[in-house]
Amino acid sequence: MTDKPQAPGRIVAGPELRRDVEERPDVCVVGSGAGGAVVAAHLAQKGLKVVVLEEGGRFGRADFRMDEATAYPRLYMEKGTRATADQAITVLQGRAVGGSTVVNWTTSYRLPDRVLAHWAAAHGVEGLPPAALAPHFAAVEERLHVHEQPLAEVNPNNRVLWDGAQKLGLERALIRRNVRGCANLGYCGLGCPIDAKASMDLTYLPDAVRAGARIYANARAARIERSGKRAAAVVATVLDPASDRPTGRKITVRPRVLVLSAGAVGTPELLLRNEMNPNGRVGLRTFLHPVTASLALFRERIEGWRGAPQSVGSHAFAEPGPGKVGFFLEAAPLHPMLSAAAAPGIAGEHQELMSRLPNANALIALAIDGFLPEEAGGTVSLRSDGRVRIDYPIRPQVWEALREGAKVLARIQLAAGAEAVYSLHEDPVVMRSAAEVALLDRAPWLPARVGLFSAHAMGGCAMGGDPKRSVVDSRLKMHHYENVWVVDGSVFPTSLGVNPQETIFALARWAADHVAQGAG
Amino acid sequence: MARRQRYQRVLLPGEKEGRRDFLRKGLVGGLLLAAGGGVFLATRRTRAASGLGPLQILSPEEATVVLAVANRLVPERVGFPRPLDVGVPGKVDALLAGLHPGAQKEFRRLVNLFEGAVAGFLFEGQARQFTACSPWEQEDRLRGWAQSRVTLRRSGFRALKKLVYAAYYGSPQTWPAIGYPGPPIAPAPVAPERPPAEASEEAPPKPVRAAQQAKAAEPGPRPAEVRPRPTPPGARGAEPAEAASPPARPGPRVPEPSRQAEAPPAAGALEAPPAPRPVEPYPAQRSGVPAPAEEAKP
Repeated sequence: MTDKPQAPGRIVAGPELRRDVEERPDVCVVGSGAGGAVVAAHLAQKGLKVVVLEEGGRFGRADFRMDEATAYPRLYMEKGTRATADQAITVLQGRAVGGSTVVNWTTSYRLPDRVLAHWAAAHGVEGLPPAALAPHFAAVEERLHVHEQPLAEVNPNNRVLWDGAQKLGLERALIRRNVRGCANLGYCGLGCPIDAKASMDLTYLPDAVRAGARIYANARAARIERSGKRAAAVVATVLDPASDRPTGRKITVRPRVLVLSAGAVGTPELLLRNEMNPNGRVGLRTFLHPVTASLALFRERIEGWRGAPQSVGSHAFAEPGPGKVGFFLEAAPLHPMLSAAAAPGIAGEHQELMSRLPNANALIALAIDGFLPEEAGGTVSLRSDGRVRIDYPIRPQVWEALREGAKVLARIQLAAGAEAVYSLHEDPVVMRSAAEVALLDRAPWLPARVGLFSAHAMGGCAMGGDPKRSVVDSRLKMHHYENVWVVDGSVFPTSLGVNPQETIFALARWAADHVAQGAG
Repeated sequence: MARRQRYQRVLLPGEKEGRRDFLRKGLVGGLLLAAGGGVFLATRRTRAASGLGPLQILSPEEATVVLAVANRLVPERVGFPRPLDVGVPGKVDALLAGLHPGAQKEFRRLVNLFEGAVAGFLFEGQARQFTACSPWEQEDRLRGWAQSRVTLRRSGFRALKKLVYAAYYGSPQTWPAIGYPGPPIAPAPVAPERPPAEASEEAPPKPVRAAQQAKAAEPGPRPAEVRPRPTPPGARGAEPAEAASPPARPGPRVPEPSRQAEAPPAAGALEAPPAPRPVEPYPAQRSGVPAPAEEAKP
């Protein structure tokens, strides 16, 4: 039984669907995060009929209780347990109407020009000079109120990076954030309880709805029906928001154009499930900005759970020269669950560290992976039981970047007055003076032996000029399908060297014109 | 103990694993997989603890192993509640219940491997189940997994560690021990398994729905409280010279978000679809939030 399409322009939650639904829009967008929301809004504003399918639920500020125990299972992929198959790298990805932008820490950077130059030179990306993206960066920055965090609102946790880097003579800068009326509560990662964060659910998705788009929440795109080289229909399973299990209802969308924006894990996953991988490149070149953290104890209170999570960054080591992997530096917030899962050691020493949580500072070094010719990154694949699987073999050059990054962080923390600095090894390296930082050279830098993280999954559907070696072309259309585009972080052929959300926004805005041409 | 030394040796950078290490890793890893291969027998002699509460995924014996791990990961210390008192096994079980069946199976297999006497003998020379070991033997065994040269064991350990610590420190009862004051807005009780808020923001909750919601919530929704935050003594940057540092002021006061989530739409809602209601990104009540710059230092 098929219901009539509903009135346009609303967000429909899974439980509302009491019958199967069929839609025949111009464009179907799978995913409502940084890529999907922006492309949906712009296509709808061009007068195209747009349907968005989002597997996550729709949440509002009243749902954001600033409580980790409820927020991670509700708002993150795999209830917050997503990790590489060897458990070496915890992978944080949002899952909601608005995608990861709902739980993003609001750090907003433009893509460095040198990355686009590298994509052109090494991956054959054509027609994407910095000048092509610049107006789109400017437009999304205006729409999302991107502005620099004032120094007066840098919290003590970030102040350690600001002060320590200055003492060492290292470049550092204030971070720009997509917030308006931010009260610096410090709980960005659990959803903003005062709607200060300009996440997609409050900005581009309402724009899309105003322009007539229909957004289905709790709708997991499962099957893509094809006819020849065209995607003919997308069938989504409707989920019960409470249990996340299928209600038995389904949504069939028959669009003229299909846009995949399910993210760097979700988009390859969907393509692999549907055997849409003609050249075997889907799910390859996954990059993570693998992160190591450095934990420091101060005499003063830091209260790392409070204040904007990231307001200071340093790119002093982003360009290390040929043959090496660069890294950049930021801070990470310290809420109890996140801290406890990341803190080094067990039993008494872990407990002692936790008892000093108010005095703890956490800084992170993010490795800029994917720029060496020999770097293939990780892979996204499917397990025999149907689950998605992420593998990320960590190359020696990435280990070196993480180790050097940890050393720089420890020096910064000690320069800022830390009493002791701990690495995240299971038997942590403890450093009380700059001379002891060299101990990190002898530590076991091995998978699952030291805590590593990623909140920046990228790649998996690399763009490029060569249809044999890449998944999408320089206009983000899939090489091997006539009406399928990929508009999300999965198209990056390398990592970015900056937090990726703003680049995804801008790229999606740029791509909307190309998608519109395909649909027109 | 001489036997244990081998596993605690630190691998130096650039140091290649010896051929014997590789053989042992391969052999032992293979044995481990064989021992854990889909058979959940290791906990058959485990004595289930009492007071575990209802379980959906784990057997009482498996939950007992999780509890034993939690008891070692969080040793007894004044101010720290015991893991059972904050319901760690039940919380781990509840999280597992939301995961893919494949992930549930994997975790149960891990728990059985961890508990098993065979793995204990192979790795630690302790031919005893984990739950039958003394506390110090258990701690040794945990460290053996954490710092093992076999990646499979380290991976398994990390999965256990993350889930157990997250369950424990996610519990508000543990927060006083670690000096965490909790969120700046005290959450009002929320009815469990509540569906997400509907698209409309301006529409006030309909009386009927509000009543339904009140019935569902236990003990009933009440407005969130704003907890004033005193300035902690000795806060970093509190000295007058550093007027730029923010923590010297009290925490931001945030009004209770006025929008109430709506109850699930009544049956047949689709037959009469509501008029399109665009979502207003920044409703007027946002002006009630004081801008941080306006907050005067005390």
